[in-house]
Amino acid sequence: MTALDTAFAASGVLAVVGGLLAVTTRHVVHAALWLVVALLGVAGSLLVLGAELVALVLVLVYVGAVVVLVLFALMLTRAPIGPDLAHAVGPWRAVGAGLLGLATAGLLASVLVPLADGSVSRAEISTDQVAEQLFGTWVWPFELLSLLLLAALVGALTVARRPDPGGTAS
Amino acid sequence: MTPWLLVGLPVAAAVLGVALRRNDLLARAVAVGLGAATLLVAVLAWALADGSAVSAGPGLRAGELAVPLDLVLDPTRGALAAVVALVALAVQVYSTWYLETDDRYGQFAATVSLFTGAMLLVVVSADLLLTVVGWEVMGWCSYLLIGHWSRRAAARRAALKAFLVTRVADIGFVLGIIGLAAGAGSTSLSAVLAPWRRPTACIDAALADGALAGEALTACGAPDGALRATLLVLVVVGILGKSAQVPFQDWLADAMEGPTPASALIHAATMVAAGTVVLAALFPVFADSPAARWFLGVAVAVTMLLAALLAFAQTDLKRMLAWSTVSQVAVMLSAVAAAPPADGADAGLLHLWSHALFKSLLFLAIGWAALAAGGTAAMALRGSAAAAPVLRTGFLVGFLSLAGVPLVVVGGLSKEHVLVTAWDGAVQADGPGVLVLVALVLTAAVTAAYSTRGYLVLTAHVRQQPTATGVPAVVHGVLWVLVLLTVFGSLVVLTGSFAVHQVSALWMLLSVLVIGVGVAVALRGGFDRDPAQVLARRFVPVADAGLGVDLLYRRVVATPVLRLARLVAFVDTEVVDAYVRGSAVATRAAGWAGARLHRAERPSAAVGLVLTGVVLLGALGVLAWS
Amino acid sequence: MIHLLGPYLLASALVGLGVAGIAARRNAVLLLVGIELVLSGSLVLLVATQAAGADRWAAGSVLPLFVITIAAAEVVVALAVVLLVFRLRGTIDLDAPSAREDVS
Repeated sequence: MTALDTAFAASGVLAVVGGLLAVTTRHVVHAALWLVVALLGVAGSLLVLGAELVALVLVLVYVGAVVVLVLFALMLTRAPIGPDLAHAVGPWRAVGAGLLGLATAGLLASVLVPLADGSVSRAEISTDQVAEQLFGTWVWPFELLSLLLLAALVGALTVARRPDPGGTAS
Repeated sequence: MTPWLLVGLPVAAAVLGVALRRNDLLARAVAVGLGAATLLVAVLAWALADGSAVSAGPGLRAGELAVPLDLVLDPTRGALAAVVALVALAVQVYSTWYLETDDRYGQFAATVSLFTGAMLLVVVSADLLLTVVGWEVMGWCSYLLIGHWSRRAAARRAALKAFLVTRVADIGFVLGIIGLAAGAGSTSLSAVLAPWRRPTACIDAALADGALAGEALTACGAPDGALRATLLVLVVVGILGKSAQVPFQDWLADAMEGPTPASALIHAATMVAAGTVVLAALFPVFADSPAARWFLGVAVAVTMLLAALLAFAQTDLKRMLAWSTVSQVAVMLSAVAAAPPADGADAGLLHLWSHALFKSLLFLAIGWAALAAGGTAAMALRGSAAAAPVLRTGFLVGFLSLAGVPLVVVGGLSKEHVLVTAWDGAVQADGPGVLVLVALVLTAAVTAAYSTRGYLVLTAHVRQQPTATGVPAVVHGVLWVLVLLTVFGSLVVLTGSFAVHQVSALWMLLSVLVIGVGVAVALRGGFDRDPAQVLARRFVPVADAGLGVDLLYRRVVATPVLRLARLVAFVDTEVVDAYVRGSAVATRAAGWAGARLHRAERPSAAVGLVLTGVVLLGALGVLAWS
Repeated sequence: MIHLLGPYLLASALVGLGVAGIAARRNAVLLLVGIELVLSGSLVLLVATQAAGADRWAAGSVLPLFVITIAAAEVVVALAVVLLVFRLRGTIDLDAPSAREDVS
């Protein structure tokens, strides 16, 4: 067990515990905040795996933008302070969901674990290489993605816009 | 074609009798007329029989098994067929009077005819399959006859008991017969006997040449001794059941619930004696198997003494005769068990011949006496022999014969022959000869005692003489014929139909001595008192209950079988059916759950179902891929 | 040197937690939390593949960036829809009856 393994285990445990609490807590705001913890854990894991750029973008985009969006949405939908009793689920549903999650995790693990044959030396990919590839090989998907973002922006505005009381659109 | 005629006539009488059962007159004519014709054919066949004549049947082939369906007739079988036909005719004639007012006389006569046909089939059969057919038909007919008065619960129970007990024993009989036939590849009697016999001459020659015992057996192609013993023991089990020997003895006494003519037929000539005929036919193989001989020997030795003791203490004289039948059949079988291989089992068959005569006489006479006295209990029958001269003579001759007084009557001589055979077997010391001999001597004394008792009770001097009115002359005639045959029947030895030795005067003296002891013991209470009350007052209730064997059957066999049946039924309904019912319950539950999920069209439920489906598909893919 | 068992198990656990969250939540916004967890599991798996040295064209780094971007776009649209639904029906309960009739 190398130092990398130990660091990965620490951040992995952080991610799993954060994810577990994000899924199970009854406070809606807490769920979003625990998601932040889980994502930070994931970012740590990615750092340990040697993908600094991805980890940074994860923190910036997810923690900085997505989670803030989620919190805004919660506030706009009048999330209660304290336990969200209006959306509580019965024990059978909780157990069923847990079993479903366990089954999924087990299925994936049963496929992936046989592939992990021993320790490997980490492949170093520098940010320069990533940039080269991103604007070389992957440039068309990258441009498509920018279109997608634009479409999402316009679409979100259109959908969320308060309907015109005058009815000029019709 | 005579043997086929011999079997066919009574069967035709049975078929006609069923067809004509509504008309008593026609049914009587058919039963008696065809019975007489059967007797005529049987006597002719006996008279004309010269050596062994096989009449070929319609040969069949069942795969590797040859089924020739032959019949055979030789002097011994002819004599047996004649006595069977005679007793059957006597019973038919007697029952025209005895069952005159019975509304089901037609069925009774037809059943008796069928019964006779089945017994004749067993007698003349040269094919094991035909033997089994006759054997099973007899079992069924005995059920019908014992249960003839089926409106009475006791008769129904007795019939069912007889049927069940003999059927259980028949499992062994059928298994044994199948084994013997399968080993020989044929059901023909001669073909079965050949491969199962011990090739003694060949083995002796090989041993004389210095070969080892095992090599000699292999070289001569000797059959497997253990297998042969097993199969023969199975056959013997069936015979013990049909002949009411220990441990199946209890059904015969209960069978007294049937009409007296039926008892006479079952006891005298047919069912219980059939075992002796079958074993005598198989004797060449049977004699080679000491294990089977010992098995039979022990069973019959126990039976003959036990049944004689029980007979002595019965309060019901008809049941006394039933127990005496059990004892006498054991005597016949003991001759088969103990006979030296060279001699053959004809002593047993001779005793069967004479027993048929005197036992039918006794039964028919006691039926008459019971009708005159109004009951079969010893108290009721006291002095009832005075009703008619033929009864007094008949009882005298019959009981003398039963006791086995030599030379005077038929039963005595045949019992001498059995004794001599047992002595020969005991001398040769290869089989249960000594045991059988001891049992025979003891039984002879007890038999003499209970014969004396029966005679004393029936002919006791009472003030109010019973009278027999309205008894037709033909019944008198039947009884007189039987009396004459009982007295002079022993002359059959002179015809040479039975291969038996001469009996020395020493043996006769000895048996007269033994019989004298028995008679003297029975007469201890004087001529006017019932010896059973004098000698065995405490034993009487026990004997009436048949030593409680009926209770034993129920405890040991019936209750566990019923428990097992209940267990099987429980497993069937609660365990096996649970899967079937479970599928229905599971389907219903799934339907209920599905309906509940769909009731509100909840999106989250749909999400859950889709996710579950994806996971299941993934699992399927992983399983198929790995 | 790093053992690959850890990343693989982490990815499995995150996806499993995400699926459990999706199945358990009735709140439409919290459903998105579960989706984010599933996506982060895929990120871990992609990066782990790169770390094992089994990728071309730096796909192990580029594809996660794409995934993050798409996820951001998806969250934006989804929250817009959630806001619209909340405005129309006053609730974001996924189990509320007759959802279809109210929206149309």
